[in-house]
Amino acid sequence: MLGHVAVRLAQALVVMLVMSVLVFVGVYAIGNPIDVLIGPDVSQELRLQTIAQYGLDRPLWEQYLTFLGRVLHGDFGRSFVFGMPVMDLILSRLPATLELTLAAVCGAALIGIPAGIYAGYRPDGFASKLIMTVSILGFSVPTFWIGLVLIMAFAVELQWLPAGGRGETVSILGVEWSFLTLNGLSHLLLPALNLAFFKLALMTRLARAGTRETMLSDTVKFARAAGLSEWTVLRRHVLRLIAIPLVTVFGLEFGSTLAFAVVTETIFSWPGIGKLIIDSIQSLDRPVMVAYLMLVAFVFITINFLVDLAYVGLDPRLRKGAAR
Amino acid sequence: MSDAPLLEVADLATHFHARAGVVKAVDGVSFTLKRGEVMGLVGESGSGKSITGFSIIGLIDPPGRVEPGSSVKLEGRELVGLPPADLRKIRGKQISMVFQDPMMTLNPMLTIGTQIRLALEAHETVSGAEARRRAVAALAQVRIPDAEAKVDFYPHQFSGGMRQRVAIAIALLHRPKLIICDEPTTALDVSVQAEILSEMKELVAELGTALIWISHDLAVVASLADHVCVMRHGRIVEAGPTLSVLTHPQHPYTQALLDALPSRSEPGKLLAGGVGSDVAPPPRAAKQAAPAVTDAAHYVRIEHVAKRFAQTPGLFRKLAQKAGLSKAPAAVQAVDDVTLVLKRGEALGLVGESGSGKSTLGRVAAGIYAPDSGSVRIDGAPVMSAGEQPHKVTTRVQTIFQDPFASLNPRMTVGDSIAEGPLAHGLVERAQAKAYVRQWLAAVGLNPDFADRYPHQFSGGQRQRVAIARALAMQPDVVVCDEPVASLDVSIQAQIINLLIRLRQELDLTLIFISHDLSVVRHLCDRVAIMYRGRIVESGPAGEIYDHPQHDYTKRLLAAVPVLPGTATT
Repeated sequence: MLGHVAVRLAQALVVMLVMSVLVFVGVYAIGNPIDVLIGPDVSQELRLQTIAQYGLDRPLWEQYLTFLGRVLHGDFGRSFVFGMPVMDLILSRLPATLELTLAAVCGAALIGIPAGIYAGYRPDGFASKLIMTVSILGFSVPTFWIGLVLIMAFAVELQWLPAGGRGETVSILGVEWSFLTLNGLSHLLLPALNLAFFKLALMTRLARAGTRETMLSDTVKFARAAGLSEWTVLRRHVLRLIAIPLVTVFGLEFGSTLAFAVVTETIFSWPGIGKLIIDSIQSLDRPVMVAYLMLVAFVFITINFLVDLAYVGLDPRLRKGAAR
Repeated sequence: MSDAPLLEVADLATHFHARAGVVKAVDGVSFTLKRGEVMGLVGESGSGKSITGFSIIGLIDPPGRVEPGSSVKLEGRELVGLPPADLRKIRGKQISMVFQDPMMTLNPMLTIGTQIRLALEAHETVSGAEARRRAVAALAQVRIPDAEAKVDFYPHQFSGGMRQRVAIAIALLHRPKLIICDEPTTALDVSVQAEILSEMKELVAELGTALIWISHDLAVVASLADHVCVMRHGRIVEAGPTLSVLTHPQHPYTQALLDALPSRSEPGKLLAGGVGSDVAPPPRAAKQAAPAVTDAAHYVRIEHVAKRFAQTPGLFRKLAQKAGLSKAPAAVQAVDDVTLVLKRGEALGLVGESGSGKSTLGRVAAGIYAPDSGSVRIDGAPVMSAGEQPHKVTTRVQTIFQDPFASLNPRMTVGDSIAEGPLAHGLVERAQAKAYVRQWLAAVGLNPDFADRYPHQFSGGQRQRVAIARALAMQPDVVVCDEPVASLDVSIQAQIINLLIRLRQELDLTLIFISHDLSVVRHLCDRVAIMYRGRIVESGPAGEIYDHPQHDYTKRLLAAVPVLPGTATT
């Protein structure tokens, strides 16, 4: 177990290192951030001074090594644009995205899995066909369009829910959360719904496919032959047997949503991290991009590791050292 | 009351209503079963024997349907047409069922104890401690040692035989009046099968449970059942006391089934009922003018072959192992220093139970796996190249695999599958390939026009013929057959065995025949090698090994084989 963790950590370090090099070189190839930072009519003297101040006059490898040295001390540098430490900047935006993503992915799982199991259990029923039709919509309709429709319907026409922003927040451990206030929840609902739609469709279809296959298996037949009720068969046997692909997709979707919730955040003007990264790419704010992408790499590896742990928890065959 | 039949099945018909038409899986089956009676239900695949079992406990999934007019009465109570909730109360409580493959029936994600508890709770309210106590008792009853600890095991921690015992324990939980066993020992090794059979006999006698034993294996049924029904095409063609049905069969189908068994005919002779073809295989390609055999007595030499399976760790895993953070995974010594020599034209039977390493040895001999040490030579020439990354360097040895469903590419016509190898090795020109394939299809007893068909359009026996044609089209001198008849019905098995006997003579093939079925090996092979835990424990002429086994393991193996009454001793 300890070896496993060590291997994963080593992998994470390598991926993060590669990521930082790629971003450094990539941004260098795109253009000089200094052109974005100061206007074209600034005097040459001030220009050189600014370049020296940011260390942009030194060769790239030297800039990179300096950066790496600082990172080892926990300092990811200061944003060119915002002028504040990158870590503070990211941490101030991350909780917003985190709660939005968690709400979306968990919601999708809690609704999608039961719906999918039902649709797989009674594939010919009317409700099942309805569920599957809706799930096709979830796959094929673009996210931004659903977001706009949601705003039009619930915020503009019905005026039940706010159209954007984060609403009231409560501070816990120095971090602002909006899911703890009613007003915050009402702000959270629409963007979470928007973000959840695709994942909902994915979970539903996965659960349905798994259930259909499992219902035909000998395990289910044997359980039925022993007189187990259908409810027990679904709850204790089927759910367990289809869990592995569901957990996999849950993890992957959680990671990718956390990193790239840009579209939804833009539509609902949610002050999350997606907007931050888009802004920093436009202004070639290298420190933010590097730190952010390294963070994303780390998050993905962590999630994959947790998913692996969940596999082991779910499937005893994967436990090492089990007596044979 | 005690004389009244326990189960009365009358005119049972189960039809599957598909878009293409109605399949009459069970078509008017009637029988009665007394208390504590053991009935064998025998038939080949597709005869409707399993569907009969499922119909009795009401587990037919749509589009299948038990037709109106059918009657299944348990102690006088009609089961056909009962609402699902009432049927569920009977399942597991009064009638329970055991399935063929214990790897598939138990849920791999739940402990044995949990699965037993679920089955208990299906009909009773029990506390956790009580459920555990009963689970331990149930496991002990089916002779599972150390039941107290085994309750917390997961299915994968048990062997196949143990798993099947667990399934039987679950079926016995509520002391049902009837147990339906659907081929419960087919997936198990002979010695395990023998244990389960004798235990089942004792349990049934002890508890007074009636038993319906569904099987394709006449010998197994003979060792267990008082009464036997032979099914074909959804109907019972013959029924009666086991001994009289098996010794004096009345129906031609029963007679044909018995005749197809290799254990009932003289070794080496063609089996009755296995109609073959007499079309000669195509002549050898001129490219390889029959190589002069240098040493016919030591034609195939397998020398000191060893093969070990171990995971190769990745870079990080290696570092972690160096740092002492993780351990190297355990390796499996599949084949352990095996030496075998075959004469030209000889058929060697390689016998052993699952996990004995016989398939691995066969694959090493066929040049599919590179051995870790030792060498395989055919007529003095090595099968594998030397060096760090050895690969097969000869077409003189080919393989026929067990599962013709898995070994043929489903997206290639069988003609293309057969022609692929010979074309790649220049044995035939592209222009002649079609005619060459047709010749081979005719030689294995298939219509040459089938060359344009895809594997799914063939039955299992036909597919195995295609697989044989594909292997032989490479014009090998040595053929490794890895359980080629294990997944086939007896009558199909007889046809394939006959085909192999004939082709071997006509083509002067040297055969390595891997099988767990001792009677098939006895029939087909001149010499037998018994494999156990990666080693050859005994080898010699077939007759000698079967009549005078020396090694304990061989003796146990032979004793475990169920025997038909009235079998001609050879």
